Amino acid sequence: MGASTGRGREDWLLAALVAVTAVLAVAPVLRLLLESAFPSAGGGPAVAVLSQPATWNAARRTLETTLGGTLLAAAIGCVMALLAALTDVRARPLLVFGFVLPLMIPPQVTAIAWLQVFGPASPLLKMLDLAPPLGTRNPLYTREGIILLLGVHYAPLVFLTLRAGLRRLPRDFVEAALATGASPLRVVSTVIVPIMMPSLVAGVMLTMVSCVGNFGIPALLGIPGGYTVLTTLIYQRLAGLGPRVLSDVATLSVLIGLIVLVGIWLQARLLARADYRIGGTSADPPRFELGRWRPAAEALAWGLVLFTFVLPMLAMVLTSLVPAYGVKLTAANATLENYRFVMFDHGPTRRAFVNSFLLSAGAALALVALSLPLGWFMARRGGRLLGALAFASELPYALPGVVLAIACILLFLKPLPLLGFGLYNTVWIILVAYLMRFLILVLRPVVGAYQQLDRSYEEAAQMAGARFAFRQRTIALPMVAPAAAAGALIVFLTAFNELTVSALLWSSGAETLGVAVFSLEQGGDSTYAAALAGLSVVVTIAIMAATSLAGRRMPKGVVPWRD
Amino acid sequence: MALKTKTLKTALLSAAAALLAGWTAASAQTLVLYTSQPDKDAAETTAAFSRRNPGVKVEIFRSGTTEIMNKLMAEIAAGDPKPDVLLVADSISLELLKKENRLLAHPEADVANLPAEAYDRDRTYFGTKLITSGIVYNTGAKERPASWKDLADPKYRGQIVMPSPLYSGAAAITVSTFAARPDFGWGYIESLMKGNQATAVRGNGAVLRSVASGEKAYGILVDFMALNAKQKGSPVEFVIPAEGLTAVTEPVAILRTSRNQKAAKAFVDFLISEEGQKLAVGQGYLPAHRKVAPPAGYPSVDSLRIMPMDMAGLLATIEADKKRFADSFGQ
Repeated sequence: MGASTGRGREDWLLAALVAVTAVLAVAPVLRLLLESAFPSAGGGPAVAVLSQPATWNAARRTLETTLGGTLLAAAIGCVMALLAALTDVRARPLLVFGFVLPLMIPPQVTAIAWLQVFGPASPLLKMLDLAPPLGTRNPLYTREGIILLLGVHYAPLVFLTLRAGLRRLPRDFVEAALATGASPLRVVSTVIVPIMMPSLVAGVMLTMVSCVGNFGIPALLGIPGGYTVLTTLIYQRLAGLGPRVLSDVATLSVLIGLIVLVGIWLQARLLARADYRIGGTSADPPRFELGRWRPAAEALAWGLVLFTFVLPMLAMVLTSLVPAYGVKLTAANATLENYRFVMFDHGPTRRAFVNSFLLSAGAALALVALSLPLGWFMARRGGRLLGALAFASELPYALPGVVLAIACILLFLKPLPLLGFGLYNTVWIILVAYLMRFLILVLRPVVGAYQQLDRSYEEAAQMAGARFAFRQRTIALPMVAPAAAAGALIVFLTAFNELTVSALLWSSGAETLGVAVFSLEQGGDSTYAAALAGLSVVVTIAIMAATSLAGRRMPKGVVPWRD
Repeated sequence: MALKTKTLKTALLSAAAALLAGWTAASAQTLVLYTSQPDKDAAETTAAFSRRNPGVKVEIFRSGTTEIMNKLMAEIAAGDPKPDVLLVADSISLELLKKENRLLAHPEADVANLPAEAYDRDRTYFGTKLITSGIVYNTGAKERPASWKDLADPKYRGQIVMPSPLYSGAAAITVSTFAARPDFGWGYIESLMKGNQATAVRGNGAVLRSVASGEKAYGILVDFMALNAKQKGSPVEFVIPAEGLTAVTEPVAILRTSRNQKAAKAFVDFLISEEGQKLAVGQGYLPAHRKVAPPAGYPSVDSLRIMPMDMAGLLATIEADKKRFADSFGQ
């Protein structure tokens, strides 16, 4: 087999990958642009919305909360990743587990829990005699409150991607630096951080795009505080009706795309200057001994877990045990009735669990299968087309879920051309929407990992006659596997409780867990909703524990909470 | 291991087959309903309807009114609206569809026992119940508000929560009702929002959570949520304000593009019949039908004071009111 045919085969693969990605990433955005430029309700392009001061106000606020939230998430995520990957803190697997779990708690649940914790009705503050008097404005109903929650909620994204990169930190670099007398802090700032730039930037980018597109947190904190960001403004417009709403919303979505574009440009600037490729996996990443600082570091780490996971979980569990919302929980009135109802009397529960599990696991696996080869081409070949495709893949994730769902309806309502069957009103449209929405969550970490991978290994294998697929499987794959697994885990946890996309796309028999919880919540049954959400957390933890067992057969570092 | 992989494969395949089985094409006798009713109520209603009309299978899409209208608008834009029947919280959205000539009139509907405000003059939509908004308070609160005007008293400063009219149809009608009345007007709304720093949240569910948990002491809320929570034991009390309640009617309408108009009409007839209305009462709603008694624990329909409102007039001002609300109160 000559080298030219090998290359030709690669080109075919690349063409197929580009085609699939274009459908997933470009089609929904293009369809929205079309709606913005040529509204189906008639009339010219919807530019009026761009001349309203409210629009620019919201865009500015989106920038503010995104910037603040991303910085905070990056700071927390970095500290946690360094602690968990490079130091000798105790009970590391448990710590990692506890720090990943908040990802699966929907942001609005975290927001509600924190509102309770800091509000006048807070059981905690009441116990400490610190509760503000009734009628005090909750301090979280502000820009700073939104930033705080965004930062805390998305810190695991930075943590997971960075940790996957740290697995590959060459021990010899660090040992060399230490041997020449550099202090640990100096090693971090001059060796570790520069080498980890691609992973760090990948995590920060994911966080940034997540902050731009987040609706749950600004809806709960910003609407009462009168602080409107682009996503809440879009929802406002959607609630406002009128024939031209869709085109207005499409135009507003373009603004979101522009903000993401600025972020990507920044990222390109950050990464353009240097070459980050390093050698193979180290047998064991280096570990700093914290010595007398260890208790303080552990307290910090567990304190974060307490605030990001334990506290919101506790609020949810307490709510699920009371007979009615607002009743004080006592030993006498605690009840499992809510759980009994959602488990045995509530028809959609079982279907919702099965659907959400298959949808999120299926999406995670399919996206890994797509991202591994695509990421390789993006990191190795680069070029304008692949660069544009990488940008396009960010957009379906940055758009509010409801907007992506509308784009999917516009695309898939009619039967597919040539194929003659439709996706609409089937569970498959949700799967396609998830592939669109969450592609970037796997692609970005994988590209980051390839960028850190020295190509000399692959070149050596190629010289020795190994074909493309074989080289991928034996050389590149094991080294990027931790990053791909981190991405898949993020997708699984995010999709399992996803609501905004499936709220518009589900159909009879195809309800998701998010839809089932939302339906209960909307009918005023907050206690049932809490029980169902609590149940989903238990199931998720069980699934994650199960992957821990399966992780024994996988390459090192694939399951983040296994050393 | 090989065996395990096989079982896993079989499991995945059968799961996929189960998903495929859900992929049934709509037959002629399928009625597609988009509704904002809570899950349980929607299931009960359609089950009762199917008992009366055994040949018709009802497919439900349930979501918030906003989500339903978004889905429908996207379907219209793509050229193929799916639902036969809409059953949503308020008539604003239906009035808009009517203006675009998308609703089918049902002149034979029996409206003899419906109050004139409850249905459209051209018989394109019909109110199926009365969902009123009044005042809710936490039983641990200091004051006992008796009227809307009470809420403007400085005593209540910082302690009031309401659904934002920008996100909730029922709340938009409440605000526009206030705005249109000379004895309230925008002065009253300002004294609530600016003077008393009322908090506007997204949706009625959030108001209930806030008041039941004691985060805020007083709120503006729809009747059934407050009364159902109270019945379950939540520390809340519902007040009919001295000036009267505001109301929406949860109207039902048939789309002109319906593929199954006969069944759609039968569904509308069922909802506004005495039987359908009794079902709504059983679910804890105030009926629209004059001859059907309200649920236990509710004041009788005659004693309910509903603030008089001119629906057609409200529909003309509601968008402007929302804009003014957004501009004035920093939304």
